[in-house]
Amino acid sequence: MPEATQSAFAAGLLKAAPPPAGVMAWNSPSPHRRYSVYRNNVSASLTDALAARFPASERIVGAEFFQAMAEAFIRVHPPRSPLLLIYGDDFPDFAAAFEPAREIVYLADVMRLEAARTRAYHAADAASLDPQALASIKPDRLGDLVFLSHPALSIVSSSHPAATIWAMNAGERPIAPIPDWRGEDALVVRPRMTVEVVPLPPAGASFFGHLAQGRTLAEATGAAMTDDAAFDLSENLAILLRAGAFTATRKDQDDEDRDRA
Amino acid sequence: MKTTIVTLTLAGSLASALAAIATPATAEEAKEKCYGIAMKGQNDCAAGPGTTCAGTSKIDYQQNAFKLVPKGTCLSMKTPDGHGMLEPGMAPA
Amino acid sequence: MIPSALSQRAGAGFKPEHFAAIIAEPQPVGFFEVHAENYMGAGGPPHAQLGKLREDYGLSIHGVGLSIGSMQPLDRDHLTRLKTVCDRYQPESFSEHLAWSTHDGVFLSDLLPLPYTQETLFRVGEHIDEVQETLGRQMLLENPATYLLFAESTLEETDFLAEIARRTGCGLLLDVNNVFVAAINHNLDPRDYIARFPLEAVREIHLSGHSETVDDLGAPLLIDSHDTPVKDPVWALYETVLGRIGPVASLIEWDNDVPAWPLLRGEAVAAQRLIDAAARQRAA
Repeated sequence: MPEATQSAFAAGLLKAAPPPAGVMAWNSPSPHRRYSVYRNNVSASLTDALAARFPASERIVGAEFFQAMAEAFIRVHPPRSPLLLIYGDDFPDFAAAFEPAREIVYLADVMRLEAARTRAYHAADAASLDPQALASIKPDRLGDLVFLSHPALSIVSSSHPAATIWAMNAGERPIAPIPDWRGEDALVVRPRMTVEVVPLPPAGASFFGHLAQGRTLAEATGAAMTDDAAFDLSENLAILLRAGAFTATRKDQDDEDRDRA
Repeated sequence: MKTTIVTLTLAGSLASALAAIATPATAEEAKEKCYGIAMKGQNDCAAGPGTTCAGTSKIDYQQNAFKLVPKGTCLSMKTPDGHGMLEPGMAPA
Repeated sequence: MIPSALSQRAGAGFKPEHFAAIIAEPQPVGFFEVHAENYMGAGGPPHAQLGKLREDYGLSIHGVGLSIGSMQPLDRDHLTRLKTVCDRYQPESFSEHLAWSTHDGVFLSDLLPLPYTQETLFRVGEHIDEVQETLGRQMLLENPATYLLFAESTLEETDFLAEIARRTGCGLLLDVNNVFVAAINHNLDPRDYIARFPLEAVREIHLSGHSETVDDLGAPLLIDSHDTPVKDPVWALYETVLGRIGPVASLIEWDNDVPAWPLLRGEAVAAQRLIDAAARQRAA
């Protein structure tokens, strides 16, 4: 019964198990080592896929630890699709609850940043908003603008300096002590073909978060100012335009109606 | 009243934002613009099942992850507590 | 014999880290092969690069995740994704493996072996019919590198492949390294396997490196590792095949410890020399 054979064969691949009945070699009725080649291929190809997606995180914990954590993750969350490009989206949450990694309080946030980078890499292509298009809008209409997110856009917020730690472990800047240990927020964008991590100033995550949710520019500005008095609108608008975080704007008709009422 | 202030703020901020970004793209940006570069983390290795040679080196999942200690750059990362890793038992912030 | 849709030349597996070197140097190889699953994202550099390569080179799309050898139904979503990739790039060839990789919805990310019986023959044939109908094209099926055998097998792998090709009209992708690896692993003579192989259905050849270890009893165990140059006995077996069937599109696969482009290209050039020699032999 080939179906039963495949079930038994598959069952032993995600845990240590002897070769299933009916599996043999020319010189052995129970070829442990030969069966282990398959088990090892499964383990190695999936841990490699995760290491490829989270290279800075692997550097932070070391290859041996990363492999063990990846294997623990794979056992609980094996891929449900042959599309390994997106495998590991829930690995950061797993790492956040992974007891041996508990002391590395910033690890999960660095992993979230790396996951966002890979998603951005494979996101649909789209032209970013042309700054000149904004320049031509009448000043009294600006507040009603609603922005359409670029498919690559993510906002990653951390109560640790996750963006700096990522940059240090991704080879973007030298590894050094971080004297000013504070939370960091960042945009992950891919305006053309290169994925970029753009650090955000105070309340930037609030501002971009509200815009990405479809709130008007006036609403997002108001919310960000409420969150942090240090919010600098022109700085954030410059980031918005330079990073290509959005593709287009539309005037929010509903909102206008609500204002009038 | 409030709307007017926001409108003025928005218009002024947009003007200075537009001025701030008015720098030409570099040649490097232009080159990467078309095709991108092979990014670390792009997960291209996903496509080689059946091609791992590690048939002997790391067979079986026998490692007890709970005995493992991270050994990467986390050891040199300075946290507010002044040392690489927080002590065991210390709750995350 | 129907001519291969790919040029009868030597190609190389495309690796993104080689992109800049490839476009800097015109026409270095006959065609490129890519793994379909790497081009199933919505956009970004993978598509930008493949689109550019497609302007100048022949293309073979090679699936590694369809699980054709599974006794369970094919993943329709994945088949649809394959169709999207094939429709977009119109490759000269599409191929997949005589193996399975998904079971009960879990993707195991390896090319796993199956017993060869009338029942598996029927199921694999059904799956290939479904693939060819969905994609609207002929596919090529690749012989696997295997490390063990099944007691319930009643058919030789070569007979299994011949019957699949006859029933479905699919072509075959003969991986010469897989032939060598599997033959040594099963204590057989690789030349006997080639002698029994339905060579008339071969539309493409794969060549790659393997690594060597031993099994529990100390017998040689070869691993299909794609991490070295093609080994001498595999080149010799390849020459034998070319002598039998003449020039055929041939691909160098190098997926792990990927070398600089000139080294990989050199392997393709070496294959091209043997193809050219086979062509001269035919003409003589």
